[in-house]
Amino acid sequence: MAKRARAVRWGVPVAAVAVVAAAVGTGPVIAAVRSDPSLPDRTAEQLLADVARTWQSGRMPQMSGTIVETASLGLPALPGLSGAPGPSGASAASLLSGSHQLKIWYAGEDRFRLMLPGEMSETDVVADGGTVWLWDSAANKATRLTAPAASGGGPDHAFPLPSGSTSPFATPEQAARQALQTAGTDTAISVGDVVTVAGRAAYQIVLTPKSPDSLIKDVRVALDGEKLMPLRVQVYAKGAAEPAFEVGFESLSFTAPAPENFSFTPPPGAKVEQGTVTPPTGHRPEAAAEAHDRGRVVGAGWDSVLVTSLPDVPAQKQEGKGRDGVDLGALLDGVKSSATPVSGEWGSGRLLRTKVVSILITDDGRLLAGAVTPEALYRAAGVKE
Amino acid sequence: MSVHENGTAVSEVPSPAPEEIGPSRQAETREERSSVRAGGPAPGHVRHLTRLLASEIGLTFRRPRNLAMLGVLAVVPVLVGVAVRVASDGDAGGSIIGLIAGNGLMLTFAAFTVMMPIVLPLTVAVVAGDAIAGEAAQGTLRYLLVAPAGRTRLLLVKYANVVVFCLAACALVALSALAVGLVLFPVGPVTLLSGTTIPAADALLRVGVVVLYTTAGMAALGAVALAVSTLTEAPIGAVATSVVLVVVSQVLTAIPQVAAVRPFLLTSWWTSFDGALRAPVAFDQMGQGLLAFAAYVLVFGSLAWSRFTSKDITA
Repeated sequence: MAKRARAVRWGVPVAAVAVVAAAVGTGPVIAAVRSDPSLPDRTAEQLLADVARTWQSGRMPQMSGTIVETASLGLPALPGLSGAPGPSGASAASLLSGSHQLKIWYAGEDRFRLMLPGEMSETDVVADGGTVWLWDSAANKATRLTAPAASGGGPDHAFPLPSGSTSPFATPEQAARQALQTAGTDTAISVGDVVTVAGRAAYQIVLTPKSPDSLIKDVRVALDGEKLMPLRVQVYAKGAAEPAFEVGFESLSFTAPAPENFSFTPPPGAKVEQGTVTPPTGHRPEAAAEAHDRGRVVGAGWDSVLVTSLPDVPAQKQEGKGRDGVDLGALLDGVKSSATPVSGEWGSGRLLRTKVVSILITDDGRLLAGAVTPEALYRAAGVKE
Repeated sequence: MSVHENGTAVSEVPSPAPEEIGPSRQAETREERSSVRAGGPAPGHVRHLTRLLASEIGLTFRRPRNLAMLGVLAVVPVLVGVAVRVASDGDAGGSIIGLIAGNGLMLTFAAFTVMMPIVLPLTVAVVAGDAIAGEAAQGTLRYLLVAPAGRTRLLLVKYANVVVFCLAACALVALSALAVGLVLFPVGPVTLLSGTTIPAADALLRVGVVVLYTTAGMAALGAVALAVSTLTEAPIGAVATSVVLVVVSQVLTAIPQVAAVRPFLLTSWWTSFDGALRAPVAFDQMGQGLLAFAAYVLVFGSLAWSRFTSKDITA
């Protein structure tokens, strides 16, 4: 009797654990099963055409939402690149590892706000008309950016937002455009299962590289079933069940954001600077920016390999920390120490392998990087200029 | 976590009477409690519970040890304020600490930033970890359960007492920080993390939100410590275990390689009180934090209940 009563009593915490586990673990699953998203069938061409039409009209719906970016690139723990939380939790380099949240309020091409919350800190990009403010609460600094005089490059370039595959800061639409632009003859485009993203039924366009050298299995772009707006971009590495990189909406509402989100006045006591547009708001790691300036690209499409000379490390060291607070010298040393020595007909060097990127640092001072197998890098290294 | 069979004595011999509470005081307390217990049965349930709770709260806030801890909680904001005041001649810096120099109200938020990681959890762990194990160690738990009031109700009262202490601790930190901020620094419109400036009155409202949120976070820790407290008869063991749990989960939070466990740790939600300092207020983030706290209270509260209602009380 007493024993049974005890058994019943111990059943209560077990039930409590089960309830919590169910709420945490299977909540999304239940939601996905219950709503079982269904959308009219569309072929890849129809979908792409509709998407192109929607984007040509150039009108994104007004919305506000939360974007979550998750990167598990398999990077080694590099000094100066750790995603450790702290006052500098909002630093851009930390986006390369772990999961990060980004909030967006969007009322139009020139009226939006991006917010990157950190622990007791915040980084904001507030655009209202011709004025763009960059606010960094940790540095207590507001930077005013004015739109470039000779932009003319369409809405893509109207604002100095970082874009491109190297920028982890990309919003879903930027990332999707990038992926669709990269897709050419070397890509198989298909339509995947209908998925639910941020509670909305979405088409999935699956871009599969045809090249055997590519480390990327496929790139999946989820498009909202109704508005055809990109909701999520996932990059899967070959042989991995979880995406190596993912940026997508966690919550989304198509309501006009409150106007006070777009009015920014530098608070009293803050440093106010006039920014120039050319540096892409400093969000891109310096190494990548320099590589773009000095490097050249071998190969095309998915097999592109970036070949560049190593940054001058001692000079960088004297400069101290870069704009992003990334100590480039320490970073390079870290890369070198965690890379494995390799050699071949092309010479010798050190190889750093991650899930989606291979990086080869040759002993003659070149740096090769690409989303390709090491063999492809060796081939590129064998080709002398 | 073996359940002792009926009549089996627990191996541990209750330690002699602890430091703070002298024998006379103890006797007085127990007398007071048993008189509470002697109150009418069913009709006066609520009244009975409130009286029991009032007596518990009275005990908690009269214990010299607890008063000393509250004193420390009140002193830390003063130290932070004075340190910033002394040091803030030149560069104020931009961090939350640096902002205090420009606005006294910011001291409240800075105080919580400084104290959330260890000072506040420590005090809560002491009070909650002591709740059951302390009575057991003093040998007073038996007497508490003589009256047919029921263990469930006693546990509820104990937890309510812990929650009241959490609220008192957080409110004390805020009040002390506000007082020091008003005395040492200029007070005016407050700049939020988002760069938006709000009037001082609104900032006070947000201080209130922060106090309530941190109270909820501490109450969740209180549930954990209470559950640990039902497992042992050594109060110091319960307190130490709770503090170690806090420290371990903070270490886990700091390691990037195990970032996946962060959402499941209590400590990683404590810092989300900074959501009150954004414009608009990050209710979604704080709401998720409150859900996490509720989950902890549910799981560990039920654990404490099953353990406490099924264990043999021998001391």
